[in-house]
Amino acid sequence: MGGGRPLRQSATDAPEERALVEAARQDRARFADLYEIYFDRVYAYVARRVRDRADAEDVTSEVFEQALANLGRYEWRGAPFAAWLFRIAANALHDRAVRLGREHGLDATEEAAEADQDEACDAGRLFQAVRDLPELQRRVVELRFVEEKSIREAADELGRSEGAIKQLQLRALDNLRALMSGKVRTGGRHG
Amino acid sequence: MAERDRIEQLHRALSGSVSEPAGAEIRELAVMARRLRDMPREEFRVRLKNILKEKAMATATVSHLREGFHTLTPYLVVNGAVQTIDFMKQAFGAEEKGRYPAPDGRIMHAEVKIGDSMVELGESNEQFPNRPGALHIYLPDADAAYERALAAGATTLHAPVNQPYGDHEASVRDPAGNNWYIATHLGGRHVPEGLRTVTPYLHAAGTDKLIDFLKQAFGAEEIGVHRSEDGTVVHAKLRIGDSVLEMGEAHGQWQAMPMGLHFYVPDTDAVYRRAMEAGAKSLFAPEDKPYGERSGGVLDVAGNSWFIATPLK
Repeated sequence: MGGGRPLRQSATDAPEERALVEAARQDRARFADLYEIYFDRVYAYVARRVRDRADAEDVTSEVFEQALANLGRYEWRGAPFAAWLFRIAANALHDRAVRLGREHGLDATEEAAEADQDEACDAGRLFQAVRDLPELQRRVVELRFVEEKSIREAADELGRSEGAIKQLQLRALDNLRALMSGKVRTGGRHG
Repeated sequence: MAERDRIEQLHRALSGSVSEPAGAEIRELAVMARRLRDMPREEFRVRLKNILKEKAMATATVSHLREGFHTLTPYLVVNGAVQTIDFMKQAFGAEEKGRYPAPDGRIMHAEVKIGDSMVELGESNEQFPNRPGALHIYLPDADAAYERALAAGATTLHAPVNQPYGDHEASVRDPAGNNWYIATHLGGRHVPEGLRTVTPYLHAAGTDKLIDFLKQAFGAEEIGVHRSEDGTVVHAKLRIGDSVLEMGEAHGQWQAMPMGLHFYVPDTDAVYRRAMEAGAKSLFAPEDKPYGERSGGVLDVAGNSWFIATPLK
């Protein structure tokens, strides 16, 4: 099946991924399944390369809109679907940099590009793991780390003591570390 | 380390107010916390999903289907195409939409419409041997249709009965050997939600293998799979494009009955290639046909013939 190099860093198995892509080609409404799987890692890839959250959202939107519009041109050649999305993202970031008159850092070597994609996949898994946390821990993660609010602001917003917020952020991070270590697919990384 | 100490150490590491470096374990948690700054907002994730959904629906209106057709159309290859057309007219009120005779006068290809569905058929020949199919047909009055079918020459497979899945249903075999499962859905519309008048029904030896093939080659989506206690697929529904396909494991009276399907896709060559990679056998490689379609034919793992096609621009 598929041929080519082993699937790297994909959350799905190759035949399953392929079936999802084929389903979306037949019926564009099924693109939503691909979006659910790849959203986090594409966002992570983009977010590290832009100035702020608004830019990250703009470029991520552009990547998925292009992917949907060009799905018919995607050809399975053994490389995972994520690699195709990362290529669209890299092009979108490059075009944006050129538009803004600062072409930099995007003509990376293939090795560096692969390392970037690995990093984005790890971050994507971390983001997905946050959604698996108990509700209160998830909220603390969002307030403290995503929105970068202070302990006091988070305590006010959640109606808890500052001590409780500190305790919750430790538990959340402990849980995330456990979730991540349980989900790491080492076979893919070194394959 | 006591939890209280860990809580304070992490807090200091996160606030950057630590004068002495924290231990490796706390540092690892702090690094993870920093990575979370790049986490997307949930509101954005949902908003973009909805935007893409709307764009996907807009794209869907640019169709690769021939007008009046859906993704899948049953294709009956029979000894006695003329009689089969007459049977469908008499029993089910079919409307003949086209008839294309071969030079010897036999029907090379014909199209009929029943309700909202098309059925295609052709006379069998050396290249395409006799291959009747099984069709699930929903009509407002299954009892009356069953009687008309018998009067038109069908033999009964079973008389009308209320099935546990909410259908009033009878089964017949027409003079050319096609099975018709004639049903009226009880309570509400006579066609169940998500189905059309006619749905192809594949009786397969090795349904699980067939389902895997259909998913991999054609992107089929499982809508429901019902199994017996020993795990055998009693009945399954899969969606391909805008159409539904039913199937079940061959047994007893219901033996394997591979049939033909006309399958509209955006890119015939790509789908043909994926079908071959998923284990299909080639009937004919993709080529531009004189009737205005690019078409490739394959036999799936259960022996059904798929005529993969894209209308030529």
